[in-house]
Amino acid sequence: MLLVPYIFRRVLQLIPTFAFIIIVVFVLVRLLPGDPASAILGDRAIDANVDRINHELGLDQPVFVQFLVFVKSIATGNLGNSIVLKIPVADLIAQRMPVTLMLTVMAAVIALILALPLAFLAALQRDKLADNAIRGVFQVGLSMPVFYLGIILLTVFGAKLGWFPVGGYGEGFLDHVHHLILPALTLALSLAAILMRNLRAAIIGVVGAEYVDFARAKGLRPRLIMIRHVLRNALISTVTLFGLSIGTLLGGAVITETVFAIPGAGRLMIDSIYGRDYPVVQGMTLALAVCVSLTFLLTDIAQAWLDPRVAR
Amino acid sequence: MTYARYADSLFLDPVLNDANVDIWILSNLYDTLLLPTDDGKGVQPGLATEWKVSEDGLTVTLTLRDGIKFSDGSPITGEDVKFSLERAAVPDTTWQFLVASIASIATEGKTVTITLAHPDPAFISALTVFNTAIMPKALFEAEAGATDADKAKAFAEHPVGSGPFMFASWERGSTMKLVKNPYYWDKGEDGQPLPYLDGVTFEVIPDDATRILRLQSGEVDGAELIPYARVDELKADDKLNMEMYPSTRVQYISMNVRPQVNGADNPLSNPKVRQALNYATNKEAIIQIVTHGVGTQLTSFMSSATPMHTGTAPLYPYDLEKAKALMAEAGFPNGFSTSLLVLAGNQDEIGIGTAVQQMWAAIGVKLELQQVDNATRTQQYRDGTMNMRVAAWTDDIADPNEITSYFAYSPTIDALHSGWKSEEADKLYVASQSEIDPAKRAEEYARIQEIFNAEGPTVPLYETPYPVALSKTTMGFNQIPLGNNIFRAAWLDK
Amino acid sequence: MTLVATAPVAKRRARLRLPFTLVFGGTIIGLSTIVAFFPSLFAPYDPAAMDYNALLQPPTMAHPFGTDSFGRDVLTRVIHAYTVDMQIAVFATLFPFVFGTFIGALVGYAGGWVNALFGRVVDAIITFPFLVLVIAIVAVLGPGLINMYVAVSVVGWVFYARLVATEVQVQKRLDYAHSGRAMGYRPLRIIFRHLLPNAITPALVYWMTDMALAILLGSSLGYLGLGAQPPTAEWGVQIADGKNFMNTAWWISVFPGVAIVVTGLGFSLVGDGLAELLRTKK
Repeated sequence: MLLVPYIFRRVLQLIPTFAFIIIVVFVLVRLLPGDPASAILGDRAIDANVDRINHELGLDQPVFVQFLVFVKSIATGNLGNSIVLKIPVADLIAQRMPVTLMLTVMAAVIALILALPLAFLAALQRDKLADNAIRGVFQVGLSMPVFYLGIILLTVFGAKLGWFPVGGYGEGFLDHVHHLILPALTLALSLAAILMRNLRAAIIGVVGAEYVDFARAKGLRPRLIMIRHVLRNALISTVTLFGLSIGTLLGGAVITETVFAIPGAGRLMIDSIYGRDYPVVQGMTLALAVCVSLTFLLTDIAQAWLDPRVAR
Repeated sequence: MTYARYADSLFLDPVLNDANVDIWILSNLYDTLLLPTDDGKGVQPGLATEWKVSEDGLTVTLTLRDGIKFSDGSPITGEDVKFSLERAAVPDTTWQFLVASIASIATEGKTVTITLAHPDPAFISALTVFNTAIMPKALFEAEAGATDADKAKAFAEHPVGSGPFMFASWERGSTMKLVKNPYYWDKGEDGQPLPYLDGVTFEVIPDDATRILRLQSGEVDGAELIPYARVDELKADDKLNMEMYPSTRVQYISMNVRPQVNGADNPLSNPKVRQALNYATNKEAIIQIVTHGVGTQLTSFMSSATPMHTGTAPLYPYDLEKAKALMAEAGFPNGFSTSLLVLAGNQDEIGIGTAVQQMWAAIGVKLELQQVDNATRTQQYRDGTMNMRVAAWTDDIADPNEITSYFAYSPTIDALHSGWKSEEADKLYVASQSEIDPAKRAEEYARIQEIFNAEGPTVPLYETPYPVALSKTTMGFNQIPLGNNIFRAAWLDK
Repeated sequence: MTLVATAPVAKRRARLRLPFTLVFGGTIIGLSTIVAFFPSLFAPYDPAAMDYNALLQPPTMAHPFGTDSFGRDVLTRVIHAYTVDMQIAVFATLFPFVFGTFIGALVGYAGGWVNALFGRVVDAIITFPFLVLVIAIVAVLGPGLINMYVAVSVVGWVFYARLVATEVQVQKRLDYAHSGRAMGYRPLRIIFRHLLPNAITPALVYWMTDMALAILLGSSLGYLGLGAQPPTAEWGVQIADGKNFMNTAWWISVFPGVAIVVTGLGFSLVGDGLAELLRTKK
């Protein structure tokens, strides 16, 4: 298989993508109304203070000069300091990214555990009670806002039953896992619903396709048909959807992180946008881009495995 | 003890910080020469045992307490005091105006002599404010960095002060741990050394519902900023004490009253229109809708907990007929269209906006609500491009000078960036800043309030206490009207 | 195994009439649309009217769904929200579906460097911080629903495009596509007449799910203050408003939640039904 050169090519292609994203974010955050000084000082902002802060940060320079300074610092591996928190952006990324990655991975695993078997069950029992029940429950899960579902889970499994801590992140790996189960479940539910619906439809579609009839005519046993033909072909679009959803999850778990008081990247991102903390937004975007690209790479490889022709 | 906060601190430097999330906990780490009293209005000894202001009001003499030490065990000297106060008085920092009157500082042994450029009646109060906290000069200057700002950044990562607690660790965005300062000078009412607690852990839990749930499940001992909507519910919870600490927080709508805004004539420039909007605002209903009965109507632009506040009756009692008459007199019998900025996602501000939108429709004012984030709002506020905004204010000093400077004294920020100006109020404010006769000063403030309340650029709405929920075992905690969280005399009852 | 036995039967039966799911889902969406166009016919009160003497009233005869913290009738607001939420469901997803499917079909058929380039565009868009985008758009256009449509569309189309592209890539290798080429059909004809109808199912199913997601996004953005602006009644914002009252006044958030579930269910059923219809038409 041509997997190695394929991966190498893909990694090379990432460089212009990152450059593009960074430039757009750099310009966009500076187009937002207000500046870090206004965001920090708020109602007490007096002109002299604002000017002092902007000067200290070099924000009184033209944008292209700021951009050159930024590019120069990136080239030396320095992402700068947070304007609001006054600490290196690299430290912030090192603190926050692992939290969000872990949350996302756990959510993805839970979503797959829920979606895959139930999608098969629903497809096989199409329009029967089991199918309708599964679809109904997932529809409710899909329709629950994260902050609402999160609070319900916290109330029941945290405060009432005491199985899980009420928010927070804890200390040590196992404690982190314990803290992240409820938020991961919250995130997983809507993802599971999306995947389940997609996979159910795909299975139904594949089962009716000619090559399954053909395989059946060839006298293959039903279970073999299921595994070799149905699953492989049905999974193709599900894997695509999964990859895309993970991408948005990585950057979009803001509300989950807020409700569960998890010090993750999503919350830092929105705080930094609101605080006009340009270096943090830029640095975090870059870090997210790396993670998302890696996810896509993995899904592409999975697809290449499911259908080798895709890689060509 | 573990205390749940809605947001993490940002920068633990007494002088260069800018936000309440820092200000409200700094006094646990850093001690000041004088301390505010528990009611937030008076002054009591701190690192200094005595203070004296000269006849002419130009010299302040303080005597340092015996045997005071920083939390690393090194003694606090006159040098540290001089260094700290001079640092607080560097121009163009946010809080410098509080100590702008300092001309020079001299120390000799335990005596600190501060010479003022002009008599400053608020100076003694200023010595209780966070920005005059005493820092260890030697440690601060040993930090890496070329400038004061760089050194401050490094120092604030592991601050050392002489407050009741000392810094232990900090996971940004999650937890901050403080432990007991063994060298703290004060003793409690029972004669035992303060603080009673071995330490305080701050947990950051931004979501209101989660913060409450964590308190109810016993994982934290206290939680700040309980939403007003849930105060009654928590009062009924027999495992909790729902505390309402008196505060200086006032909520109001501020207007842009310049004759023209964005090139169009501005109806709000007419004082009668502003009065009409005031009369058309059913404040009692807003207090019910937004604060669920927790708030009280304002009797002046400053809170009733602010020294020299005057006024007994609520401002502009709801009177729709009077409002309509004033609109007609002002030449707007059919009303006009305008807009109101509210902070995106802030339930209180959205509630206020939604309510006044409906109330003002009764006098023909078509109000468009615009939810924007803080930086956008501040930009429009400072640029003078907004029409109206919802806003709140909390004092940082036990004196009316700070709020008056921002609200009514036009040179500071154009009276809340409204463009409103009263020559008389400006003159009175300047006079009050060096008036050392308390009675005369009170008269000046009474007159400023009278002027501002009658035709100022705001719709005063309500004042609210700080809603803090504590477990039944948490004792001795206090949040003073200026917002400071005081843990020095807190303990957990086993 | 049941699969082997039922599938052909289901196929035969479906050929005779419209799938039941389509009829049922269609009925829900049809009724919802009627309510959306004429909310005043069904709503007992004015959606913005406040009754300061009836704040947070539990469901009664006068207010079957209770009142909210402003003393507004929740039933009335749920009904009026149909207008806004049906719009959100359609406007926030229609462009992404149409545009994404079109691009996806072309990219999937072309393959090669076109596909590689498209992959990078997808990377860039998905990686781009969505909230930065929303806040930037709000800053330019001012807050409101239009921003939401724009922001969602900028990001959303890549989901459809990638789904369709992948599926087209698979389909074009199957026999019928080869025979189409052999018969000398033009690529566009092959793509849109032959490949797309077979490749569109995942996108179609996702579209109908996406409509429910769009309404939900309104609630997330409402939580952040970037969605529908007061006094507009919108289910997502209503749920966000009811957050503080989950223990004391559940009706504020539960009824709009039920409306989202029912409407979402309607769209989902239509999606499943359409997928079935496409399959049986082959």
